Amino acid sequence: MTSFLVRRTGQAALALFGVCTLIFFLTRLTGDPVLLMAPEGATRADIEALRTALGFDRPLIVQYWEYLNGLMRFDFGQSIVQRVPVMDIIVSRLPYTLGLAAAALVVALGLGVPMGVYMAVHRARPLARVLMGVVLAGQSLPTFWSGILLISLFAVTLGWLPSSGAREVTSVIMPAIALGLLSMATFARVARSAVLDELSKPYVRAARAKGLSTGRVVRRHVLRNGSIPVISVSALEIANLLAGAVIVETVFAWPGLGLLTVQAIQARDFPIVEAVVLLSAVVSIGLNLIADILYSVVDPRITLDGAAR
Amino acid sequence: MSHFWKPVRKGAVATVFLGAMSAQAVALETVVIDLVNEPSSLDPHVQWNPDSYAVYRNIFDNLLTRDDDGEIIPQVATAWEYLSDTEIAFTIRTDITFHDGTPLTAEDVAFSVERITDPDFGSPQLGQFNQITAAEVTGDDTVVLTTARPYPALLAQLVKLSIVPAEHVQEVGDDAFNAAPLGSGPYVFDAWQRGVQVTLTRNDDYWGDAGPFERAEFRAVPDAATRVANLQSGASNLIVTIDPDMAMQLDMAAGVSPRSALTERVGFLRLNGAREELEDLRMRQAIAHAIDKELIVEGLLAGFDRPVDQMLSPAHFGWIDGIEGLPYDPDTARALIEEIGEDAQRPMVFATAPVFDQRIVQALQQMLSEVGLNVSIELSDMSSYLSRVQSDPEDAPHMNFGRWSCACQDADGVLHPLLHSSSSWSTLNDPEFDAPLEAARETLDEDERLDAYRAVHERVIAEVPLVPLYQAAILYGVDDRLEWTPTPNESMFLNRMGWSD
Repeated sequence: MTSFLVRRTGQAALALFGVCTLIFFLTRLTGDPVLLMAPEGATRADIEALRTALGFDRPLIVQYWEYLNGLMRFDFGQSIVQRVPVMDIIVSRLPYTLGLAAAALVVALGLGVPMGVYMAVHRARPLARVLMGVVLAGQSLPTFWSGILLISLFAVTLGWLPSSGAREVTSVIMPAIALGLLSMATFARVARSAVLDELSKPYVRAARAKGLSTGRVVRRHVLRNGSIPVISVSALEIANLLAGAVIVETVFAWPGLGLLTVQAIQARDFPIVEAVVLLSAVVSIGLNLIADILYSVVDPRITLDGAAR
Repeated sequence: MSHFWKPVRKGAVATVFLGAMSAQAVALETVVIDLVNEPSSLDPHVQWNPDSYAVYRNIFDNLLTRDDDGEIIPQVATAWEYLSDTEIAFTIRTDITFHDGTPLTAEDVAFSVERITDPDFGSPQLGQFNQITAAEVTGDDTVVLTTARPYPALLAQLVKLSIVPAEHVQEVGDDAFNAAPLGSGPYVFDAWQRGVQVTLTRNDDYWGDAGPFERAEFRAVPDAATRVANLQSGASNLIVTIDPDMAMQLDMAAGVSPRSALTERVGFLRLNGAREELEDLRMRQAIAHAIDKELIVEGLLAGFDRPVDQMLSPAHFGWIDGIEGLPYDPDTARALIEEIGEDAQRPMVFATAPVFDQRIVQALQQMLSEVGLNVSIELSDMSSYLSRVQSDPEDAPHMNFGRWSCACQDADGVLHPLLHSSSSWSTLNDPEFDAPLEAARETLDEDERLDAYRAVHERVIAEVPLVPLYQAAILYGVDDRLEWTPTPNESMFLNRMGWSD
């Protein structure tokens, strides 16, 4: 176990080093932030003066060395557009993205799983077919469009919910629905096939033969067994929710990392882009590491050190 | 495990929609303004894009300002007098205090000039002020600015110079000042919820016209459709940057309406005569004749914008009434192209970036194709676009569409960078352009300057280094209760707004 951890941590560190090197040089290939900052009509000398003041005139390798040095001290530098430490900006934005993803997950699970179960148990009923259509529609609606529809209905016409921003608790409802609808379809389909799968198994027949009602069989036995694929899909969907948040955050003016990233990329605000990419890399490498460790906890047949038991 | 599913069965759908569902009523003490993005910075010397400017311009007073008619009027300076062609003395108001109670002095003015012109400070606005070589306090309430040479656009540039408190800035440092700006304007910085909004409160001790609202909230709402929904739902009172279709939608809605102003931004098509395909003057003339500006303005821009025949707007110093450009005449264009023969068919590149209205770019391309030219659009991101447009003329694209604003309402900020041989924005190397542009830059005599600009306008028509297209409009959506007049320089002064009775 220990040698496994040491090896995997080493691998993770190497992967992170690769990510920050790659992102450092890639961002610098994508364009010049100084040109975007200089006002129209700025002369070459003005632009060069700005470049010097921002430190972009120095050799790339020097800038890279300084960047790595900063990282060692958890210093991500300063946003070149806002002139505020990147760490402060990320820390202020991260809770919004996590909150939105969590709320969307609640919507997706809360709607998707019951729908999937209903569609499996009552697959012959007309309502199940209607729900199938709803699920399909939920997955097909682009969020930039469904988001605007939600705003028109609930904010403009009915006036029930705040139309955008993050000023009160209710602000999260519409973005969470718009974002959750996409994953809802996945959960509904996975739940449906998992339940169908379980329903055809012998233990269900045995339970029914014992005299249990369908409802009770489903509640007591099928749901529990059928929940395993739903849980594995949840892990994948969390990543999807974070990615999908970019568009939803723009439509609803939700001040999360997605919106920040889009704006930073447009302005070539390198330090922010680098920090966000690094953060996602840390998250996914970290999650992978945890998952590997959890495998052995869940299933004792899997050993971590590679030695046969 | 069954209890886990119970709430679901009892209807999670309903609980999601319940909760506080109060309508978003906006109290009249607060005005809510939807910008596109949050300000990049509230330090007025650091950033200078519309979203930042709209907010911090209410926190700070500027040396000079413009009234709603566009005239330069006093603000921090009450009067100014040229001591020589390169020296100008400003008399500073003595009754202004910063929000912390300290008085605004001539030292603060000199400090502000020195700060924004310090190359190490790295202000993107440096180019607008670097003609100023010295700022000297010569009396209790007098500051003398010295320029490197006679600089007629100085006053127009100083309209953008915000006065910051010297002592406070030096004491807390640039970063802390940026996070919590302290000015002398009609509104006081209150809070900045990152990514969401900036809140200002009224400065009850303001020396000038006090603001009508107790509080003002500037929110970041990147999606235009969401801004329109916010306005219609009453969540905001004023929204920026909408397109003509949305303006028409607001026109039909109750309680809100679109408002527009013709700005100092001019749309144009630059033609690069340094490329051999466009070396022939007849090619450039054919392009000018092929473009139907009226159709672009009426058909695509819903008539809010206005076609122009000179590379300026009437809001600029240097605009000359009665100048007529080459008229829309596709037959003449075709005749010219036929005359040139096969060389006219060589492929040409039309560079553009996503920030520009692609419908206009495509319409221009189609107009050129219709008279028989071979033009292909190349779309790149803004940074690459700027770098291509500013590269050496031989490598720069054959043509590009742009919308130019110097935010100074002076021809020097438009014509000099676009047409002078020394500028990276120009593809020309023509003494006949350089001479009048330099003459207009080096004298303070307004008549002489106008004569020089007339010569430039006429040469633009003769040589066609660019085709001026239209004076751009800016469209806002406004709560009908809000009294406010948009201005050509896209300013947003809270203390020039009010509620109607």
